[in-house]
Amino acid sequence: VKQFRIPVEHTTLGNGLRVVVSPDRSAPVVTVGVYYQIGFRLEPHGRSGFAHLFEHMMFQGSENAGKMEHIRLINASGGLLNGTTNYDITNYFESVPSNAVERVLWLEADRMRALKVDDENLRNQRDVVKEEVRVNVMNQPYGGFPWLDLPPVAFRNWPNAHNFYGDFVDLDAATLADVQHFFHTYYAPNNAVLLMVGDVEPAKALELARRYFEDIPKHPLPPRADVTEVPQTAERRGEVEEKFGPLPAIAIGYTLPKRGTEELNVAAIADQVLHGGRAGRVHRRLVLEKQIAVEADGSAEIFDTNGPTQMVSRIFHTPEFTSEVAIAAFDEVIAELHEKPVSVEELDAVKVKFRSDYYSMLEGGMGSYMPRFGLMHYLACFTLFDGDPDRINTALEGFLKVTPEAVQAYARKYLVPQNRAIVLRRPAVPGGAR
Amino acid sequence: MTTSAAPLNPATGAPALAPERPVQWPHREVATLANGLQVVLAESHAFPKIAAQLYFRAGNAAVAHRSPGLASMTATVVRTGTASRSNHKIEEDLRRMGADLGTSAGADSTSISVSGLSESYKGLLELIADLARNASFPEGEFERERRQRIEETRIERTTPGFLAGERMRHTLFGQHPYAIVAPTEEQVAAYERSQLVEYYQRHYSPPDAVLIVVGDFVTSEMFARVEQIFGDWRVPQPKASQSPAPPVQTGRHVHLVHLPGSVQTQVVVGNLAITRRAPDWHPTVLANAIYGGAFHSRLVMNIREQKGYTYSPRSSVTAMRQQGYFTVSAAVRNDVAAATLTEIFYEMDRIRSLPVTPDELEGARNYLTGVFSLGVATLDGLIGQLSTVYLDRLPEGYLETYRERIQSLTADDVMTAARKHFESAISQIVLVGDREQIGDQAALFGAVTNYDAQGNVVKA
Repeated sequence: VKQFRIPVEHTTLGNGLRVVVSPDRSAPVVTVGVYYQIGFRLEPHGRSGFAHLFEHMMFQGSENAGKMEHIRLINASGGLLNGTTNYDITNYFESVPSNAVERVLWLEADRMRALKVDDENLRNQRDVVKEEVRVNVMNQPYGGFPWLDLPPVAFRNWPNAHNFYGDFVDLDAATLADVQHFFHTYYAPNNAVLLMVGDVEPAKALELARRYFEDIPKHPLPPRADVTEVPQTAERRGEVEEKFGPLPAIAIGYTLPKRGTEELNVAAIADQVLHGGRAGRVHRRLVLEKQIAVEADGSAEIFDTNGPTQMVSRIFHTPEFTSEVAIAAFDEVIAELHEKPVSVEELDAVKVKFRSDYYSMLEGGMGSYMPRFGLMHYLACFTLFDGDPDRINTALEGFLKVTPEAVQAYARKYLVPQNRAIVLRRPAVPGGAR
Repeated sequence: MTTSAAPLNPATGAPALAPERPVQWPHREVATLANGLQVVLAESHAFPKIAAQLYFRAGNAAVAHRSPGLASMTATVVRTGTASRSNHKIEEDLRRMGADLGTSAGADSTSISVSGLSESYKGLLELIADLARNASFPEGEFERERRQRIEETRIERTTPGFLAGERMRHTLFGQHPYAIVAPTEEQVAAYERSQLVEYYQRHYSPPDAVLIVVGDFVTSEMFARVEQIFGDWRVPQPKASQSPAPPVQTGRHVHLVHLPGSVQTQVVVGNLAITRRAPDWHPTVLANAIYGGAFHSRLVMNIREQKGYTYSPRSSVTAMRQQGYFTVSAAVRNDVAAATLTEIFYEMDRIRSLPVTPDELEGARNYLTGVFSLGVATLDGLIGQLSTVYLDRLPEGYLETYRERIQSLTADDVMTAARKHFESAISQIVLVGDREQIGDQAALFGAVTNYDAQGNVVKA
């Protein structure tokens, strides 16, 4: 096994902004990101979808770069940009030729310092966001499945259980005052990390970070909201109508162990035993052997969440079988994990794949045109949630030492009905037009 | 970079760009084995990974006239068994090497691609060779994959983006094989295992193939290994087939695909254009970047950032091997379908008739050259760029000179390309949505032909 180490340098500025740099001079490009520790979990009550709508507003104008100027300057520098809203973070990032890094920092600092937007901008982006929801959810077969379907069934605490893309009535209710209030509450340098990954020299990068960001005043953050769930005692079930697609679909979510625990490492390996592609037990049993499902896969977002999260299995099955038959086949797979430890051979193979996937994520992670996006993303999560960007080089150890017995113990404790939720997507026209 | 403050851009206060550091091209070796297989190797050592892709220069277009989608089905079943490995074994072997495998076919090509840990490079090459040479097409796996494909076909016919793309290709290409993007349910049901085997024996052929490997390896070792594993593979070159010409369009026509209950309209406008080998390919790409191919393009600023009609408008020039095309697409709320078309044509006519500004020109040239540099900085991106060059048999040095060629283009070049290839007067219009909601708007733009989601022409 080749020894492989990512260089990382980090510091905290006087205003609390954390700065992380990972140099890689192999190509003259750099990926820059600013991650704020606020996501849709903590958006205000009565304002579902607000964190995401707000993310759009961050492209609408800052003190010295008016509407369209931010986008124009990045594109005209040869760069690509985007932002995403997640459970516990919102990120803004750019991949650019490295001669544009200073310009990118100026732009990011400008919008961290002050958002300059008006009612017209808000109306415009509210319209854009509604079309985003329509194209991704309301006008798409299996739109929002299962990421919008499961939370309201699985969880009881509003931060974990609401519609993260937003009910249109809530989007309509959002005001400019809400926008500025949200900005002043959460968009503080002491609630963020700045990352530069790629063709930068660390000392120079840290100096530029100081130059552009250090005079942005820190401000007090609200106390961390309580996102814990009341203990679950029985399986939870829900149903959603599928308006377009012909096949019944099933989402099964098991709530994961807390971040920072050994159990979460085990959960990640168990997820790969179950969902590691076509060799994963769920796909093999339901698609290849029993041929109940047309597609069966799953995943566990263990790196970039910091609150109640589930490992989710997705099953699309043919209408010849009932959903109960499909769930029973899935349950057999789970029961086998309870009954018998995974073989050393299977576990070793899963770990090799896990290591390889980890490198692939660091290398790309967001398509071919965002070099090292995944490296930036993981560094941000390790910094904001664990206070330790150097975990980028040590995180793998925790996964690679998981034992067969630990997987079995985890399955018996976590992969049980009273820790799961099931949502059925039932086609309005079963089987579609046949 | 220096440590002094960068000069300020007087317009905004934004720092000006520093001098650019040139792209360092990875060491690349290109050779052709005695059996005709072209081999392209490029080292990149940032991560302990390799990506390898074996391409064949034949795909669904080669069989569209008798069995649409047959190349795709062949690629799907290729990975499910060889003379010495079961489906199960293939998947297990992949996992042991930390690898992902993809097999697929487009209109013009077929590919077998793996990415995995560089420590397993030998096993990864052997697996690619095994699939390319010894696939066994197990009867049971074929039947299972065919049933799955039928279900996928049904889902495709409920997906607005798929329906719009399919209808546009039918409209632009007529009797040409590029007209067909996917088979119907009945066509899939009619596939026979023997057809897959026949396709495989004819088209998985080394004289018609390119093997590209990028990543963390030593070129001399890799080349020796490739020669050892692929050198004794001999299959004759398949005969190329002739395609009928696409139809000549004479005016705008509207094609409305009825998807009842749609809460949005998928709009696509398009016309035939050029291939990557055409002398004005680069000016056309530049015109597209200014028109609607970038976030900061005219179309996106207009119908998204000013008018809020849509989330993801986009224009693109697509180069296929025999013929390319230009499309503009946007998913918009139902009551602005006509307004969206008006703006699409307004922006098309504007770039056809007025010169782009010097700022726009400079920004778009930088955009294309910058994005190009980003696109060769990942293994996936690099393999994609290399495959374009070698599959389309573009001149050696195409990638190395791309940036200079883009930087040399003028406002005149942009207008000339737009006039020739953004043909607003004969654009074809496809709308996918609820006819009750958008039928009247559709009729404002020309004669309307109505379709159902299965592709049948229907009466409104």
